[in-house]
Amino acid sequence: MAREMTALLNESQSFLETKTEGWEALRVTGLSKVFGEERVLDDVTFSIAEGESLVLLGHSGSGKSTTLRLIAGLEVPDNGEIFLKGRSIGHLRARERNVGVIFQHYALFPRMTVAENIAFGLRIRKVKKKDRLKVVDELLSMIGLGDQRDKYPAQLSGGQQQRVAIARALAYKPDVMLFDESFSALDPQTRVGLRREIRALLRRLRIPSLFITHDQDEAMELGDRIAILNRGRIEQLSTPDEVYNNPQTEYVATFLGAANVIEARWSDGLIALDCERRLAASVPAHSINDEKMKIVFRPEDVSLGQPTGLVETPYHLGRGEVLDVTFTGASETLMIRLLSSRRPGDTGSECNMVIKVLRNKWDARRLMLKQGDKVSVGLKSYKILEG
Amino acid sequence: MSQKARILPGQRIDLARPVGIGFIVVAMMPLVILPLASIFIYGFAKGPVHFWQALVAPAAIFSLKLSLITSTVATVCNVLFGLIAAYVMAKYNFKGESALTIIISLPTAIPTAVAGFALLLLWGRSGLLGQLLEKTDYQIMFTTSAIILANIFVTFPLAFGVIKPALDNLETSFEDAAETMGASRWQTFRFVLLPSLRGAIITGALLTFARSIGEFGSTIMVSGNLALKTQTAPLYIFAKFNEGDVEGANAIAAVLALISFAIFSLILFTRKRLEK
Ligand SMILES: Nc1ncnc2c1ncn2[C@@H]1O[C@H](COP(=O)(O)OP(=O)(O)OP(=O)(O)O)[C@@H](O)[C@H]1O
Ligand SMILES: [Mg+2]
Repeated sequence: MAREMTALLNESQSFLETKTEGWEALRVTGLSKVFGEERVLDDVTFSIAEGESLVLLGHSGSGKSTTLRLIAGLEVPDNGEIFLKGRSIGHLRARERNVGVIFQHYALFPRMTVAENIAFGLRIRKVKKKDRLKVVDELLSMIGLGDQRDKYPAQLSGGQQQRVAIARALAYKPDVMLFDESFSALDPQTRVGLRREIRALLRRLRIPSLFITHDQDEAMELGDRIAILNRGRIEQLSTPDEVYNNPQTEYVATFLGAANVIEARWSDGLIALDCERRLAASVPAHSINDEKMKIVFRPEDVSLGQPTGLVETPYHLGRGEVLDVTFTGASETLMIRLLSSRRPGDTGSECNMVIKVLRNKWDARRLMLKQGDKVSVGLKSYKILEG
Repeated sequence: MSQKARILPGQRIDLARPVGIGFIVVAMMPLVILPLASIFIYGFAKGPVHFWQALVAPAAIFSLKLSLITSTVATVCNVLFGLIAAYVMAKYNFKGESALTIIISLPTAIPTAVAGFALLLLWGRSGLLGQLLEKTDYQIMFTTSAIILANIFVTFPLAFGVIKPALDNLETSFEDAAETMGASRWQTFRFVLLPSLRGAIITGALLTFARSIGEFGSTIMVSGNLALKTQTAPLYIFAKFNEGDVEGANAIAAVLALISFAIFSLILFTRKRLEK
């Protein structure tokens, strides 16, 4: 597949490469949808630039598929507008919108061959048979299934079916591609390989795409930007880096990767945690005392050191006790209970803050730890969430 | 299966097996197998020439043709109706949908003589709609139309009953996909749904046809049973037998039985192919 891919990238101008970059391909504003009593989407707004890929990430039932169906015209919004290439398409039927949808189970037509499936959109558009065949051939070789053209969908593997579904949508040059959990039905290995391939393909063709997933790895890999959807609202929309390293809400922080979230309050310019623990503020200090907030940090933001010394990190969390060590090869995961002591040597145990720590192999080797060991705990960085 | 039943050396012979199989065959002999066999045995008892003459008698040929034509028309009507009804009910949810399904299925539960009688009451001279027809020259009762109406009535739910579950099992995402690709409703139906329903449509049609070609109870009420006019094959058998012309009855009975066997095999064949 890798060889095919490079061949693709070197290939000369294709019939698909006619897109220009820069302007907005899709814009969705104030989208709302109510099913029965349930507000499934609430004021959803985002846009996708030409050639960009946006990932909608959220738990099951958060309204991802509904968003996609509204854009595709398969469902009617209660509120909001949808613009494709600058024109409003809210009033158009699904078949007039020219969007490409890849459904979760691909929805390949079972009684049509691979070639017939791919040609379907062109047949509907009354493209001449000769021209249809040309496009089908080009797409088939692009997805590396030239020898499968006369098979039926049931005779293909899941990964092959997905490629056919993508080719089928690309055939009629859609203005935007929408993927609804299109990778979730594949086994993990195929999934990872295929999504790289698809991503490279879409980059090359510069087709704006909306991916829907509940898998954070997939979101990180596929998205130029990620929108995190929670109960029908977008909690944060930014680059994968921003979303991971600068989460704006607790939901975002805990949804994308593991995160330690600790309740705290302001106290004389410092951050007071439970167990009489104080932390230097990572932002200009708040003047109002006792205002509640939360601090958030990733397991890999923690540094561990000898219990007697101080860890060389900007922020010091105090001492802790190793509850559990899990070795996973490249790294190890530790569960550490923070001890309530303010002075070294004083072992209070009524404090019950447990944090998760991730260390790479080399850090783990430098300071070997086992269950019951005492350590001092420092933070390389952390985030403050208001409220 | 075969593992369980195989008798290994040294194992006790399981008597229940031959006795059980024997019972099935013995019970079926007088009930099913011998009656069917006798149609063919007696039909050819006086030689094939006799059989052939009985078969090509004008009234016999006419009755067969009439049965084939009326059954075909009824089949076409009911398959079309079943297809449309299944599509509408799969596509839209509405109040009274389940009540409607029950009403559609009702005709199979009604005795055929009652069905024929009901049609007579509706279309007969003093019937609800019959009164309207009275003023025109057109007549329905005791014509080919009456036979078709009766056939439609008694086989009404058969095609629908096969097509509806097949359509329900088709994922709606096929329709969604076709629509986003630019297909109109008709194009989606024609190019995507219909090909997937082919097996169900064929099975539904065969069931309907098989049931209507053998229909007797309702036909005899509404057709008038006039030889060379409104006498279908089953009525011909009955009439010939009553006249004492056993060979005449027998020849047509054999043909009807063969047609039924053929349809039955076709149904089994399409089922098998569908399962693949
Ligand atoms: N046609 C419908 N009628 C009624 N409720 C619906 C309909 N479609 C979706 N819903 C409801 O809307 C909510 C959001 O559904 P949606 O399919 O958008 O979620 P999702 O984020 O795609 O979830 P998943 O990851 O499970 O696919 C769910 O609670 C669902 O029950
Ligand atoms: Mg979904």
